[in-house]
Amino acid sequence: MKKPQSCIQIEPDLIATATGEASAAAAGQVQAHVATCRACRDDFARYRAVDAVVGTLRGDMPPAADADAARARLLGRLADLKSRLVSYKVFPSPLGPILIAASEHGVALVEYLRGDVADSRLFRMAGVDTQEGGAALERLHRELLDYLAGRRTRLEWPLDLRFARSDFERAVLQATAAVPYGAVSSYTGIAGELGKPSAVRAVAQALRHNPVPIVVPCHRIVGIAGDLVGYAGDRLGLKERLLAVEGVPTAHARSRIVREAMYHYDPNPDRQYCVPSCGGILHRPLGQVKLFASREIAQSVGLSPCVDCRPDLHPLAH
Amino acid sequence: MGEIVQLDETGFETIVATHHGEIFRYLRRLAWRAAEADDLSQETFLRAYRARQRLTADANVRAWLFAIATNVFRNHARSERRRRAAHDTVRATRRELETDGPEAEAVAGEVRTLTEQAIRALPLKQRLAFTLRKMHELDYEVIGQSLECSPESARAHVFQALRKIRTTLNGHALPATEPTR
Repeated sequence: MKKPQSCIQIEPDLIATATGEASAAAAGQVQAHVATCRACRDDFARYRAVDAVVGTLRGDMPPAADADAARARLLGRLADLKSRLVSYKVFPSPLGPILIAASEHGVALVEYLRGDVADSRLFRMAGVDTQEGGAALERLHRELLDYLAGRRTRLEWPLDLRFARSDFERAVLQATAAVPYGAVSSYTGIAGELGKPSAVRAVAQALRHNPVPIVVPCHRIVGIAGDLVGYAGDRLGLKERLLAVEGVPTAHARSRIVREAMYHYDPNPDRQYCVPSCGGILHRPLGQVKLFASREIAQSVGLSPCVDCRPDLHPLAH
Repeated sequence: MGEIVQLDETGFETIVATHHGEIFRYLRRLAWRAAEADDLSQETFLRAYRARQRLTADANVRAWLFAIATNVFRNHARSERRRRAAHDTVRATRRELETDGPEAEAVAGEVRTLTEQAIRALPLKQRLAFTLRKMHELDYEVIGQSLECSPESARAHVFQALRKIRTTLNGHALPATEPTR
């Protein structure tokens, strides 16, 4: 027997009403229809029964142990992915395009890009899964711009030194990170601090491979005579600019620090710093001797003015 | 040098803690074997982790995860379909059901099994739409996003599924429901 047209038309609303999906208006029409149509009333009851059976399935839960085990395995794989995953982005800067890359542990790479991003060190590292973008990187970029503009003196970024090639290199980076803003030390000085005074070349190599320049301020490390030596390959200009931001004077033509314009510290029991003219300190090699662009910086690392040359009374003219 | 802190600010572990159970149940309903649901739920969350940067602060995380899980399952089903074409083994489990007596229990159990089989036999889109709607009670808007179709199509899929399930159960006594509202 053929279904009447009115029954065919109301069928979707009938299903909707029977399964709790219908609007009030549609439900009203369906109720009115089934009150007079026997076949549709049966249909309606059938759909309601189907809906009730479906409802019992909704409450089915897989064994809690299965879900727990699945979650535990997921968290394991997630930890593995996180440990491998490094997010990166290339940003413009006054020093040219810079790639910043960070893992869950911290910033892993700051790289001056010369060409294509595909040539970045990032893509030559084994065991690394890369991903472009990330809100955290934007914040790092803003802070870096502030730093380069002299509006910020520290980049207090958590670091992930996975791209350093050895524990020695990591130790060099750690020691370099301790050189404060506006201060200058030497490769020899860092080697001495690490208790390996003969490892000067190895220190220089480690800093040449510094995966996080600017953040680990290898630009504050110079040769024993105050010469700038190397930076990011052959980009001494970058080193000079970074030092200039911190107020460290450099003689561009000779690519060296202007020691005459900096305060000196040669380790002494009283922890006193001097003006360069004090007792021939200017001519001592930058082995143990450290330099500071200002008295404030020298004092910020716990030094006090020398009682002979009195840098407190006779500051250097800038 | 700074101490080691999390740069990951989205609190992904919280997302896992909140939603893993439900996504696992969803995939468990769809998958043929328990181990598959395990793998698929892992894939869902690992994919979500990779895509988390695109998640806006006001996003509906639950809907987003269901969409990813649906996508993961569809890809999986596509490759499985070829593999399984020869020997389809519909898994049907009998489960306990609270009823009045052994007879009612047997009837209800049989009907449940038939219903589960009918759901499993649905075309994929209908099965997905039906499961998202009737098992997880998602909005048609969200279901449409998961299935890459309009909310109206999603609704049509669910209704088509209901018709088929109903047809499957023709001739079987169904547990009584209260009279017409």
